[in-house]
Amino acid sequence: MAHISLEDVALDFPIYGSQRSFRHELVKRATGGFIRRSKESGGHVVVRALDSINLEIGHGDRIGLIGHNGAGKTTLLKVLARIYHPTEGSAVINGRVSTLFNILPGLDMDDTGYETIRTCGMFLGMSSTEIDRKTPEIVAFSELGDFLGLPVRTYSSGMMVRLGFAIATSIDPEILILDEGLGAGDARFAERAKQRVDDLVERTSILILASHSDALIQSMCNRAALLHGGRIIALGDVDEVIERYHHLNSEAAAAQ
Amino acid sequence: MTSITNIAVSDVLDGVGNWRLWGRMGWAEVRRRYRRTLIGPFWSSLSLGFFVGTMGFLYAALWNQAPESYLPFLCSGMISWVLVSGLVTEGCSTFITNSGLLTQTSFNFSLLACAQVWRSLITFAHNLAIYVLMAAALSVPLRPETLLLLPGLVIIAVNGVWAAVLFGMICARYRDVQQVVSSLLQVAMFVTPVFWAPEQLGHRGQYLSNFNVLFHLVDLIRSPLLGQAPALLSYAVGVVMAIVGSAFTFWLFRKLRCRVVYWL
Repeated sequence: MAHISLEDVALDFPIYGSQRSFRHELVKRATGGFIRRSKESGGHVVVRALDSINLEIGHGDRIGLIGHNGAGKTTLLKVLARIYHPTEGSAVINGRVSTLFNILPGLDMDDTGYETIRTCGMFLGMSSTEIDRKTPEIVAFSELGDFLGLPVRTYSSGMMVRLGFAIATSIDPEILILDEGLGAGDARFAERAKQRVDDLVERTSILILASHSDALIQSMCNRAALLHGGRIIALGDVDEVIERYHHLNSEAAAAQ
Repeated sequence: MTSITNIAVSDVLDGVGNWRLWGRMGWAEVRRRYRRTLIGPFWSSLSLGFFVGTMGFLYAALWNQAPESYLPFLCSGMISWVLVSGLVTEGCSTFITNSGLLTQTSFNFSLLACAQVWRSLITFAHNLAIYVLMAAALSVPLRPETLLLLPGLVIIAVNGVWAAVLFGMICARYRDVQQVVSSLLQVAMFVTPVFWAPEQLGHRGQYLSNFNVLFHLVDLIRSPLLGQAPALLSYAVGVVMAIVGSAFTFWLFRKLRCRVVYWL
């Protein structure tokens, strides 16, 4: 059963500027800077992107993440996707995770559409038989027809999006992580894409969606979390949390 | 087991175990170089062959050696050197070049190392064609010892994987190291007995061969190609390096696995 449990999670990004180079490291060690460095956990400039995050997510949860740019939404999503490991606290994530951050991993522009389906499928963690089973459906959804036998570099950007989207949404994750809605192709495709994401969400145990669109969060989520300065300042009912977010916004506007 | 140990262990098991994907990634890189060219990666093999062909005659004349024995020695030495040094230099950029993948998806680091070693082995197979042509032309004997090429390649591949992970992590953090390593290797090519045999330097040559791990790795491939068995010492060094290197790298990998992504 898919389950996520975050306990007192904090995440510091180390920022390396010129001090990234070996020279400074050596010079520091030679000049006694070493002691200062060791005192303050490395002495690098760090940015605390997440702080004291506590979150329990279970089967059936559809969590909407809201907050300003830089509030920590994407960082939190990356922790949930097991890309970043928290600096402090513990993150237990059980279940097959899928993100649509990078929909065409391992893309080679000279590969044909069919080869791309196989490569990307493997990168996304599908087994060979799973890819074989899914290919007809991906082919059908992408509506690329004979183009799938041609190198991907001959595709228009819209066709590329259709292919990537068809592959990425064919997987069966237990935990689905989405950052913003998916901008996809022309109007007709956008409609079909929406239907397809809905189907994907339907068969997913847990959904986590970060978005600036109230309507999207309201239509897809049953819980919401408001992030501010790397902390969750409100968690619970979608409408209440959105309310709180707007309140925060008007406070900020008034302060200016 | 603590959680960072779990992460590191499963990275290695899943990454190395997913041979379908790293096999495909290694091939993809080679196929990319074949695209729309007649002989693709053979161009670099050809330039290697051209180098060996000209320098071989030059050095043979300089050192009063018979070209028909010196040329196979130089050619086998060069293709072995290109493999060994390539594993190190490309290992430095294993993670840097895949930063997009590593920061966008949860991906096994060890898988990237395997893909890279596999690609180097495929390139080696291309270069080997040059040697086979030369060996056939100069009728270098094919002996049972030639089969020792395979265990040699296995030892080198294992060393290549840990080197890719180790150097990949260090170079992601300290970008200068890549430059340091490539300049050191450039000098090492001349200092290591690749162009010359250790015996030519007398007892001083022993220092540059016996205490030089690169020489032993080269020996594991070169000697079988020349129809000779590699020195027992070379096997010992190669195997000990594989074990100690893997253990050390895993120790460091366990500590850094969760940090590397912040350095990319």
